[in-house]
Amino acid sequence: MDGLLLELVKVSRSFGATRALHELDLRLSPGRITAIVGENGAGKSTALRLCAGELAPDAGEVRVGGRALHPARPEEAIRRGVGLVHQHFMLVDGFTALENLVLGAEPMRGLRIDFAAARREACALAERTGLEVDFERRAGELTVGERQRLEILKVLYRRARAVLLDEPSAVLAPSEVGELYAALRRLADDGATVAVVTHRLDEVVRFCDEALVMRRGELAARTPLGAERPPELVAELTRAIMGREPPAPLGRPAAPDPGPEPVLELGGVELRDAAGRRLLDGISLALSAGEIVGVAGVDGNGQRELVRVCAGLERATAGTVRVGGRDPFAGVHPGPAAVRAARRAGLVVVHEDRQREELVLAASLGDNALLGDLGAGHDAERVARRLARFAVEPATPRLPAQALSGGNQQKLVLGRARDRQVRALVVSQPTRGVDVGTARRIQTALAEAAAAGAAVLCVSADLSELAALCHRIVVVRRGRIVCELPPDASEDAFGRAMLGVEAA
Amino acid sequence: MSSWLSMLPETLRISVPYACAAVAGVWAERSGVIHIGLEAVLLTSSFSSVAAAVASGSLLVGMLAGVLAGVVVSVGHALLVERARVDAVVSGVALNLLAYAATRLALRGLYDSASNSPSIAGFDLGPKGGDVGAMLARVLLDPVTLGAALVIAASPWLLARTRLGLRLRACGESPEAARSLGIDVVRTRVLALAISGAIGALGGVHLAFDQHRFESGMSAGRGFIALAAVVLSGWRAGRAALACLVFGALEALQIALQDVSGTSKATTLVQLLPYVATLVVLALGIGRAAAPRGLGQRVDDG
Ligand SMILES: Nc1ncnc2c1ncn2[C@@H]1O[C@H](COP(=O)(O)OP(=O)(O)O)[C@@H](O)[C@H]1O
Ligand SMILES: [Mg+2]
Repeated sequence: MDGLLLELVKVSRSFGATRALHELDLRLSPGRITAIVGENGAGKSTALRLCAGELAPDAGEVRVGGRALHPARPEEAIRRGVGLVHQHFMLVDGFTALENLVLGAEPMRGLRIDFAAARREACALAERTGLEVDFERRAGELTVGERQRLEILKVLYRRARAVLLDEPSAVLAPSEVGELYAALRRLADDGATVAVVTHRLDEVVRFCDEALVMRRGELAARTPLGAERPPELVAELTRAIMGREPPAPLGRPAAPDPGPEPVLELGGVELRDAAGRRLLDGISLALSAGEIVGVAGVDGNGQRELVRVCAGLERATAGTVRVGGRDPFAGVHPGPAAVRAARRAGLVVVHEDRQREELVLAASLGDNALLGDLGAGHDAERVARRLARFAVEPATPRLPAQALSGGNQQKLVLGRARDRQVRALVVSQPTRGVDVGTARRIQTALAEAAAAGAAVLCVSADLSELAALCHRIVVVRRGRIVCELPPDASEDAFGRAMLGVEAA
Repeated sequence: MSSWLSMLPETLRISVPYACAAVAGVWAERSGVIHIGLEAVLLTSSFSSVAAAVASGSLLVGMLAGVLAGVVVSVGHALLVERARVDAVVSGVALNLLAYAATRLALRGLYDSASNSPSIAGFDLGPKGGDVGAMLARVLLDPVTLGAALVIAASPWLLARTRLGLRLRACGESPEAARSLGIDVVRTRVLALAISGAIGALGGVHLAFDQHRFESGMSAGRGFIALAAVVLSGWRAGRAALACLVFGALEALQIALQDVSGTSKATTLVQLLPYVATLVVLALGIGRAAAPRGLGQRVDDG
């Protein structure tokens, strides 16, 4: 594969009054994996979207292979060999994986799309790259990992020579992250230009060749990662990202004495889908006041359902959820009434998919901040407090929620949850897509909630987060708790439990 | 007795405008454009076909003019919605009202009539005679019906199997994803609406040629019944056409019942039959399939 150099030359780009990029100079070279790191809102996604022709620069030039990208449109970028995997998946949920793969570059046979040829090519591509996907399934039914792989395959199917990925690992389990980077390494070895936006600095140090640090729309630092990778590197990168000293390491609150009665208790919770399959298969857990329990597992093993049951969005087909000894869902229909019942009982839930379950993207930040508490009075104060809780940026209440970067959306959601009366807090992926500094603040807030007497159940794909935060961690597989591990168990032990492989 | 047997050709004849409009609705909405202006498409195409036929003396010219009018109205809707960013419902309502008023005005201007145009000849292919076989042959040999049957039958395949169909559905399901793959969402939607307009127009042309003239407001709500069929079918062309066939059968039944019962109060009730049936089916939520996910969504340009 020929290399394809991507350059941003003194590129500026604003959205209304927000200056996303300011005279940014960026160079992505072939044959290596370049990491792009920076706080939420630093302009990382904007930079990638400019490379992919989705945005046009206000000033400066985007160069692909030495020539200006003109016109600045996705079809031109694709034609020139640039492929972007978006932070939020760009899949047509109702289409099969195969249809998604060929969309826009369909092999034809007369008037018809030649799906047989497409399937052959897809399988060959999957085999060559080691990115396996069930091509006959609908995209909406694929696991997050599969969707991720499909997005990369889409880019490769279009013969991209530059592959840009926007926070690809945020949704993956540790084992999947390893596979992802292995596939990316093969591409880079083949001569492709690979760039990855990520907040996980351990990944950067382990898998990448170079780190570009962005701050406020500019390039703040360029760190080549040679053969020597001292452990201080992560701290150094953190400093560059934040522009100041990194936050103190998280202090886990001391494990509480088990009280006489658990605050949050799941008793044999079972959930079946319409076809009778068990999505949750007898989950039992008891959390005392002040306790933080982590839930680890490969995505799609019941975590989402567990959270939905706690929120009152699904009714457990068997078993109970109790808060302070009472079942808030007794005699309530699942849905809005149950959600209100949970909230009244002090059971506060934060879902993993903030765009689908937590926010009304077209509505204003102010309205979103009040969602669930409309009519409770003191609206302006409440909005200001919730936006300020984790410093949502920009904190302009009348802006639509979709104008926020992913990390800032998460800050809003958590600010709203923490502002409520909390006896038990169930959070899923609290720091997914959030920069290091903010992630630390969110984790600290969870620890504070526990210290103040709440029971905290935290579902996360980030093992280091669970290890730093939790008193104990349960591993789920196929809707069942397969084991409980102490927070200092090895990553290997977690990996084996999550995948169901016996210890060697 | 003959009135019962004649229900078959009657059903086919009555169903054509409904089915054309419904399939037109499917093409539009599968691409993501809300289209409640089907009445406007029917009305303008039936008027244009008659006016062109009267002026040229050729039914074929009339047919082409009708199709052209349908395309113009439909593409106009697409441009208003996708380029000028007018709300799709507002645009649809406005087009319906405008089409009604404009055709009335043109009737007045061209033919000095408030109600109808001069008569035109029909294609009148097929055997003469009043028996059911001859009636059926006449219905089936009608060029407009044939053309409509052809495009309706081809629609499910075109939408499912061709490049245009796939891209069009992608724009309807997830315009953002389509755009990120280099598909021009606006252009695809305009093209979809052009096809939609042409198919819907065949229904309008059929309506006028069947009556051998244009009558003010002759679409008589068929565009809305067709819209119900679109929803019922879960936005699937084949099923939408089938639903229209059932509706046509009910209307044929109602006409046959009228022949039997003569004129009485019961007749008025019987006339309600097809509409009541449609309401019941809609209310029961049969086929309450999800609408295209990106219906009514626009994409921003960089
Ligand atoms: N489509 C948009 N409309 C308005 N503001 C935007 C849009 N996209 C990005 N921004 C703003 O531009 C800045 C940079 O955003 P982004 O590139 O998404 O940051 P990052 O990916 O580094 O988190 C942020 O302040 C964000 O709010
Ligand atoms: Mg981003």
